[in-house]
Amino acid sequence: MDLFNNLIFGFSVALSLQNLFYCFVGVLVGTLIGVLPGIGPLGTIAILLPITYSVSPVAAMIMLAGIYYGAQYGGSTSAILVNLPGETSAVVTCIDGYQMAQQGRAGPALAIAAIGSFFAGTVGTLLIALFGPPLADIALKFGAPEYFALMLMGLVAAAVLAEGDMAKSIAMVVMGLLLGIVGTDVNTGAQRFSFGIFELTDGIGFIVVAVGVFAVGEIINNLGDKQERRVLSTKLSSLFPSRQDLRQSWGPILRGTGLGCFFGVLPGTGPAIASFSSYMLEKKLAKDPDRFGKGAIEGVAGPEAANNADAQCKFIPMLTLGLPASGVMALMLGALTIQGIQPGPQVMTQRPELFWGLIASMWIGNLMLVVLNLPLIGLWVKLLQVPYRLLFPAIMAFSAIGIFSVNNSGFEIHLTALFGVLGFMWMRLGFPLAPMLLGFVLGPLMEEYLRRAMLMSGGDPLVFVTRPISAGFIIVTVLILVVMIVPAVRKRRAVIAD
Amino acid sequence: MLKHRSLWFQTLGLLLAMTALAAAQDYPSKPVRVIVPFPPGAINDSVGRMVANHLSARLNKQFIVENRAGAGGVVGAELVANAPKDGHTLLVVSLAITVNPWLYALPYDHAKAWAPVAVVATAPNVIAVHPDLPAQSVRELIALAKERPGKLQYGSSGVGTFLHLGPELFKIMAGVDILHVPYRGAAPAMIDVIGGRTQMAFASIPSAIVHLRSGKLRALGVGATERSAHLPDVPTVSESGLPGYEAANWIGIVAPAGTPPEIVARLHKEISAMQESPETLKQLANEGASVLQMSSADFGKFIASETAKWGRVVKEAGIKAE
Repeated sequence: MDLFNNLIFGFSVALSLQNLFYCFVGVLVGTLIGVLPGIGPLGTIAILLPITYSVSPVAAMIMLAGIYYGAQYGGSTSAILVNLPGETSAVVTCIDGYQMAQQGRAGPALAIAAIGSFFAGTVGTLLIALFGPPLADIALKFGAPEYFALMLMGLVAAAVLAEGDMAKSIAMVVMGLLLGIVGTDVNTGAQRFSFGIFELTDGIGFIVVAVGVFAVGEIINNLGDKQERRVLSTKLSSLFPSRQDLRQSWGPILRGTGLGCFFGVLPGTGPAIASFSSYMLEKKLAKDPDRFGKGAIEGVAGPEAANNADAQCKFIPMLTLGLPASGVMALMLGALTIQGIQPGPQVMTQRPELFWGLIASMWIGNLMLVVLNLPLIGLWVKLLQVPYRLLFPAIMAFSAIGIFSVNNSGFEIHLTALFGVLGFMWMRLGFPLAPMLLGFVLGPLMEEYLRRAMLMSGGDPLVFVTRPISAGFIIVTVLILVVMIVPAVRKRRAVIAD
Repeated sequence: MLKHRSLWFQTLGLLLAMTALAAAQDYPSKPVRVIVPFPPGAINDSVGRMVANHLSARLNKQFIVENRAGAGGVVGAELVANAPKDGHTLLVVSLAITVNPWLYALPYDHAKAWAPVAVVATAPNVIAVHPDLPAQSVRELIALAKERPGKLQYGSSGVGTFLHLGPELFKIMAGVDILHVPYRGAAPAMIDVIGGRTQMAFASIPSAIVHLRSGKLRALGVGATERSAHLPDVPTVSESGLPGYEAANWIGIVAPAGTPPEIVARLHKEISAMQESPETLKQLANEGASVLQMSSADFGKFIASETAKWGRVVKEAGIKAE
């Protein structure tokens, strides 16, 4: 059993005192920067990179990887507690996680986020160990038409899944699309809606919008209410998930893990798409989708698992092909080459201690994060009992520090404030925020892939159906539309007949 | 009268020189901001951090790297152009700074804004093609492109970037038509070349070297006057079929114009010392770069000549940003 031996070997490397130490430092630093918005793994790793020259390559990679996935854990903590998405990927967790905290169920929300992430991390680690290289080849099969078809499928699924006020949902998707357009057009270099402001030429940062509409908007909303927030008056339920919570969560965790692994292998999908997909899927599968947005534990369990699986699987194209899926992965790749290691399929055979040691350390790191996070839940929940008049200035301060650190400029802070006001207005007027963020994430990507597909095919739209993978997604998209629309039409006919 | 005046001026000049000297001796009197006008991870960032670490150690004050990304580097450059001229704000510049004047209505005067300090490193591009492409040399690539005008495609990291300008210069010099396919960043562009959806990229050596070694990409030529130490078997583009082609990114340090020359000289001396250390050479080698040394004055002329060179490419290729 080769895999077994390899894993044993990996653990023997990762469990050395030095490597355990670097792993711990990595996940701890990661958790801390994850809690703060803006300050992300990218900046942290860039700053720490020179330090890693002096340690062994294995220890360096273990620490950097720890920072990366530690941040994914930390990001959800502030999302659940104070509606502040610490990392891009935690945005989805804000929706139901924060509602759970409002109902006095912050403990179960945090616990299920940690458990879901740990499970997904374990699966992700195994996946890299078992199928790394063959999976990476899938990444190479995805070009612009495939990505566009995939995202079209996602958007259509999201649209038909939207319930409540349809007009408002669509308005918000369009709002998100429009916000996503701001900046430099990739194809022509033309400026769109940047009004001569150079800070806008690279577009509006996702974290700026997310922190603005969620964290700042919520604060304005709370301060608008006369009485103090209800958290204190609600009886705090148990810190840990009940049996029913677990029963409701295991399905979403499994599905979220699957989705996360799928998106993680594809380098071109961008952040937050895995967690958004999981959220939409769970909402669709739920017996009573009305609970979503009002503190459904499935809305935390699924996306958190998806997010961590996605983060873990981003290592597959990086380690086995040398293809970075994100800025963080590009830095890790740089760290590897600085150490004189060429990533690629040969890493597994030429540097087994690095490959298997890193994989084993990921699992150990995930375990450390659970061990680190579960006991902290009690502490975090106590934080909520801090009077709101003290808590909200702290949230504002941390948001401002984090946002400032993105680009060391005050411009982003002003922009966040603007989105805070907009978020407050949307909240008060009953406009849902999730469709807006989905449009904001998917819109620019879809446009980019559509136009690139057109450019490369010389303007021939058949490119989407002549390529098998892309054609598959298009067929599924059509099926979703048919399945969703036919019953609706029938129902309406029945209503009219009555 | 005239004599008096000249004496007066001489005294004034001496006084000014003395205060400047005093300023240079005090320098740095507080932490120095080193502005990197790109996000972490770019070559500007890693070289900037290298220089900052070295200067912190040598001048006993912190040199703090700040990433101020935006508009291809204009946002960070504007900040430094308007900073106090006391050497406490420096800018890490690259080829992009010579391209931006042709793409944007700049909020500063590129020709007058800078006091060049030192150029640190240079990193040429490499023509990396998909292994199935029949062309085995630059000469064959040009022949193939002439045979199929507009059919071959290259990927770039965006409009106006080094990965866009290098091939546009190639197209002008060789008189061929190759379709430009822009991406957000070099990494996705490389994925499509490896996947065979585009045929080539005029990539930086570090972003291509892994794939060149694993055989997923094939190198046709390096855009420098000499072969690269990282790819000793790869000919230069000149050797391989397009004489005179040269496209290299470079990274250097500038201060705002009007910074006391003593401070500029001090910084230049320290950076030159850094460039000779074996550790620097090794770190630069990992970036696919090598040391480039010249005097501050020559660096100024170099910036001017690069600005003119890429300005011609931008105009002839019809590249527009606004």
